[in-house]
Formats: sequence, C-alpha cells, structure tokens
Amino acid sequence: MGLYSESPDWADIEPIPQDEGGPNPLAAIHYSEEYSEAMGYLRAVMARNEMSSRALALTEDIIDMNPAHYTIWLYRAEILFAIKADLHQELEWLNETALAHQKNYQIWNHRQTVVDRVGSPAGEAEFIARMFEKDAKNYHVWSYRQWLVRRFDLWEKGELEDVELLLKHDIRNNSAWNHRWFIVFGRDDSAVAGDVIQREMDYAKDAIRLAPQNQSPWNYLKGVTRRAGNPMSSLKDFASEFASIERPNEVRSSYALDLLAEIYSQESDGKLDAAVALDLLAKHYDPIRANYWNYRKALLEQPATAA
Amino acid sequence: MSATRTDSVHPPSLQASSLDTEKHIKYWLRCLKSPLPHHYISNDSNRMCIAFFIYSALDILNVLDASVTPTERAEHVDWVYRCQLPEGGFRMFPGSGFGKLRNEQNRKWDPPTLPATFFAIQTLAVMKDDFHRLNKRGILEWLPKLQREDGSFGQMLIDGVIEGGHDSRFGYMATGVRWMLRGTVEGSLDGIPDIDMEGFCHCVEESQTYDGGISEAPFHEAHAGFEFCATSALSLLGRLPQSSNTALEVPSKGLTQLDSTVQWLVSRQTATLDEEDEFDTNSDETDTSMTCHDSHSFVKLRSFPSKAGEMSYQDRSTAHFELQWAGFNGRPNKVADTCYAWWVYGTLSILNKQHLVDAEACRRYLLDKAQHMIGGFGKMPGDPPDIYHSFLGLATLALQPESGLKGFDPALCITKEAKQYIESLQWRKAAISGASDSLNSSLSSTSSESTNTTSQSTISSDSPNIEKNFSYLAISGG
Repeated sequence: MGLYSESPDWADIEPIPQDEGGPNPLAAIHYSEEYSEAMGYLRAVMARNEMSSRALALTEDIIDMNPAHYTIWLYRAEILFAIKADLHQELEWLNETALAHQKNYQIWNHRQTVVDRVGSPAGEAEFIARMFEKDAKNYHVWSYRQWLVRRFDLWEKGELEDVELLLKHDIRNNSAWNHRWFIVFGRDDSAVAGDVIQREMDYAKDAIRLAPQNQSPWNYLKGVTRRAGNPMSSLKDFASEFASIERPNEVRSSYALDLLAEIYSQESDGKLDAAVALDLLAKHYDPIRANYWNYRKALLEQPATAA
Repeated sequence: MSATRTDSVHPPSLQASSLDTEKHIKYWLRCLKSPLPHHYISNDSNRMCIAFFIYSALDILNVLDASVTPTERAEHVDWVYRCQLPEGGFRMFPGSGFGKLRNEQNRKWDPPTLPATFFAIQTLAVMKDDFHRLNKRGILEWLPKLQREDGSFGQMLIDGVIEGGHDSRFGYMATGVRWMLRGTVEGSLDGIPDIDMEGFCHCVEESQTYDGGISEAPFHEAHAGFEFCATSALSLLGRLPQSSNTALEVPSKGLTQLDSTVQWLVSRQTATLDEEDEFDTNSDETDTSMTCHDSHSFVKLRSFPSKAGEMSYQDRSTAHFELQWAGFNGRPNKVADTCYAWWVYGTLSILNKQHLVDAEACRRYLLDKAQHMIGGFGKMPGDPPDIYHSFLGLATLALQPESGLKGFDPALCITKEAKQYIESLQWRKAAISGASDSLNSSLSSTSSESTNTTSQSTISSDSPNIEKNFSYLAISGG
C-alpha cells in the first residue's frame, strides 16, 4: 500500500493513527495518503524516542510536505547528534530545502543549530548568495546572516563589500541598508569613530543623489545623524539639494521635503516654512499621506513636546 | 485643525466598492464544513490557528448562530479541548499526539505551544465557551517559564529549554493569554507568579530600529508584523501611553520613539500593488519633480510626464486615479500585500492613529483589488484567496468599520463582542479581584454565570463530553 507499510525496514513499527477525537474536527485537511502514512510512522518513532537513520530519513520526507511541523526539527537535530550523522551532508540537504521553502523559518533555526555544531561558516556565504538570487529581501536569511556574523566574528570579512554589491544591484533594498547599519553600528564593543560616521553619511548621500525618491538611504542618513548626536539641521543644505519651498515645482524628493519640514519646525521662526513644506507634501508630493502631513502641520501649533 | 483630506485626492470612482458579504460567508462556511484542500498540508501544524481564523471570520460576518447548530458548536469546542494537554496549554494540531502512548519520555515531541494556547483560548472565546475545562492555572504557571532572561518569550519548553525565536510574536501571544485569563492586574495572582513585565518592555524597546520601526530583535530590519505584535503586547499589558489628539506622550519603557513609530507605520501605505509596479526608476526620465511619489509606483502613476500631464499639475492637487487604491507593505520599498493592511492599520488603530492613513484607499484596495470573486481575499491582486489573507483582509475592514461586519478589537484580534464576552466571565472577574481558587478548572464549578444563551446551550449539550475529555486526559498521563 505505502512507502513505509510495505518496506521491510519498517516492518517492526506499528504506525499511530491520527486521533481527531470526534465527529466534527476543525480545520481538517484533505491529507494525501503519503502524508497520512508518513505521519503515522513519525508518531510511532517519536513515541519511542527512536534515534536512527531511518527516522532521520522519515523526517526528511515529512519536512518536504510540512516544513512548519514545529517539533520535527528538534527531533531531527537530536537524531543527527545522537547517531553522529554527517553534518555537511545535512547542510547540503538543508540548502535545497530552504530554496524550496522560502517562507519557512524553522529551517533557519535548524541551520543555526547545525552550523553552530559544525563550528565553521565555510560555504555559508555562497549559500546565502543563492538565497538572495531568489529574494534579496528574505527576512529569515538576513536574520540568520546576523547570527553568522556574531557567531563567527565576520564583521570585517567582506560584509560591507557584499552589502555594497547588493545595493548596487538594487539601491532600494532596505534589508541591505539595514544590514549595513548592523555591520557598522551593531558591534558590542563599538564606539564608532568620527571618520566612519563621515563615511556612512557620504555613502547615504551618494545613494540619495543617485535616486532621490528612495526612503531607505534617507532613513539611514537620519539614523546616522541621530546616532552621531548631530542635530537634523546639519542636513539642511543637503536636503535643500532636492527640495526647496521657494521652488515648489522642482521638488525631487518627498523625503527631502519631510526632512526640511522637521528642520524648519525646530527653528525659532520656522513654523511657517514648515507648514509650507507639509502642505506641499499633502497636496502635491505625497497625497496618500495627506492626513498625516496635515496632522504634522497641526502639531506645529502645539507647544513643543519631546522631539 | 482637523486632518481632513481634500476631495480632489479621490476623484469619484466609476463604481462604488462593496463587500460581497454573501460570497465571504460561503467561503468561510466551506472552510468550516468541508476538509481543506490538500495544499493546506503544509499548514497541518497550524490547525489551531486556522480554526481560529475560520470561527472568528464567521463571527465577524455575524453568521455563527445561524450557520452552526448548538451540537456542531459543542463538537467544535470538544475538538479544541482535545488539543489541550494535561500539563497545561494546547498543542497546535492533533497530528502531534501519541494517544495512549504519550508518556513522560516522549511528551516533549507533543508539547503545548504558546501560539496554540493563544489561538485555542481566542477560539473558545469566539465560541462563547465558559472556559470550564480550561486548565487556567496550568497555563498561567507555564507562561513565566516561557520567558527568557532577556525578557523575550519562546514558543515552547522542551527538556527545560525555551525553544523558538526571540521575537515579539511570542511576547504578543503571552500577553494575549495573560490578558484573557487575568486581565491587566500586575504581580502574583492567587499564588501564580506574573511574567517579568519590565523585562518584556525592555525587550520591545531594544528592538526599535534606526528608521523608527520595530524589528524581531535588536539590529534586525523593521517589519510591520513585529510592530503589530510589540504594540499589541504593550497595549494588553496596559503599557501604552493614553492616546490624545496631540503628539504622543512617550513612555519611559517599551515604545520610546512613538512619533517615529507612527511615521514609519504611515509610510507603509503604498500604491505599489504588484511586482509590475516595482520598476527601478533610477536615472529614468520619470524620476523628476513631476514624479515624486512612492518610488515604485510613480512610473505607473505618471508614465509620461507629457505637456498635458504637466499642465494638469499646475493648479491642482497631484492626485491620481491610481491613488484611489493604496494598500500597505510590511517594510520600506516592498509591494503591498493584503495581510499588511492588517498589521499596519491594526497597529495604528491600537495607537489610535488610524486616521493618519488613507483608510478609504485601503478599503478600495481590499475590495477592488484583493477581494476574490469566490469570496475571501488573496495576498495580491488576482491571487486566489487563502485563509490567512482572507481573515486579515476581513478583520481590517471590520476595524474601519464596515457595514455588515461586527466591530473588531485590534489588539486581541477578535470581535468586540467576543472581547466583552471574556470580560463578562465571572471566574475572570473573581480572579482579577484577587479571589482565591478562581483560576482552578473544576467540573463541579458553577463559575460561569454568563447570561449568554448560546453559551448555556453549549454547556448543557456537551456535558457528557466533558467527562470524555477528562478521561482522555487521564489516559494520556502527564
């Protein structure tokens, strides 16, 4: 009948059927025969705490159909270590599985467990590059990459260069911008040097000059400015390259206007100018957020609160 | 001044957008009454979550009483309790159970999980169960054990190790369970220790990002889903600032950059609705002052900065036909996705700042672009419906609110009616006021004094099942 029930390797196992426990289960699924059968055997080997290569193969089969099974991964890891399986082979298999199930996150937990045990990041950069070919904004991959950097001290092993490559390919890849932030500012021991701050400011500014209507480098630039303890007004000249309330028809970036509005609002006699910038945003340059810009305008009339 | 939109932003559309209530009811009843198609196998381990979506959607659509008989409902309640584990908490799906073979050595592969427990209790609330059979004490004693030293919560305990990510999803679910079972009272309750509130708030605070959002962990990328979880959690703990019409007051712990958080959320609204919109306009002639919008959408919005086009911008708002439909993305520079309408609009609703986005454009996006002709919502325009997006799309509309749908509570993600039902439960009131033993589940207890008739009929019709359930628990040991 099935892959397992007919196999001599599994003859000693009595599968445990699934118990819905009543006539009206919720969210019942039209299971395939393959899945039902494999799950019956999985329950049986898990119930025996069996640590074997056949159980390992079985988990592979089920993960392929249901990678979100939350204990199968832990079971698999325990088997791997118990039978001293080849962990490099495990990583090879994981590569294909991760490529096939882009949205699954349990895979990444497991990969972390395995790579941690292997004790080396060899091959990981290549694999991550393959994942990024499919989706360079995959959240799980970026999170895993941060873990790798911390675990193996990869801060200065090509991370910045790689981020630059990815941004060269897509200057709007916010995940890559965020990784840049992590590499520059995420080190525990770091007091970031002044020339690094300058370098990061320049990098963000260049990216903005390339594509002014891109929120990622604007956020980055403002973040660096704040981190360095500089006032936003230090960006006034730069923002003015892309927007001016004097020339309302030549605005090249709504983010520049937003920044100017913020800077004006902090100036002692800047409220009117801020209102003009916010008006431009509401009516011309970012009408989707008209309600928000009008709200900001209304806040100008209020006594100052925390910035 | 009030933040009202000028009419010119939305030229009248050809046809009024509408919610096809009948189709949605049909969709959800099909999900309730017949097995889900085989491609849901990859979601087998999320069945409790799916069960919650189905029940809650029918609740939003106000058809539970009309479409589910008391006997059916009692059997559904039984199914949920069938997933309750002797040690307290729920499993996410029957597939992990070993039946009579469950024992001390193997139960780690069939553990209670925080998501399962959260969704189970929510579902029971929607079903108007009286929580008689719920092992409340077991669950509340388990919650603090799922919290790590850094303040974050995990998904489950395996061999004494807290497994699962460190992100705010589990923190959200922990605070949701806590709220449902003991409200916002802080500190030890009836001998049960509380979670570490300060630790959790600190953990949220640390996950705030340089661009004003909230991420899964310090230095990770801001993401609307984590934004929702963190904000909801603080709200369920009573740790959000009271909202006002002025700038948000900043709390000392938790969300400490609220103005930026709100701007980050508002910035998620986008007219970039599909991959085709996702042109890189870098150095393109369209990247000019005339095309200064959401970077990815303005190619389509103004694909030809023609003379006529330019003329039309001279004296009036630069609104566009396309701007009538604006959904939400989950991160900067991504395309819109139905579920992010929930994660973003829901978060703003919790902060009482939902009026800062274009709710009407979002509604049109959901109804005209994401709503499917067979009912339900797809992830993106043209996509077939799935349970996850169908539920979150419907829930977003219910928040707005939408006529024909019950009012919805964003933080708990259930109807206001279901929330009120929880608040009306006598054992909960007793627990909150500090009465001892109010959290113990007991067959003989008469703690349910809800006046709801449905609940009464549920109790009477399933009393034989209560015994069945407990004998099951006895057999499976623990």
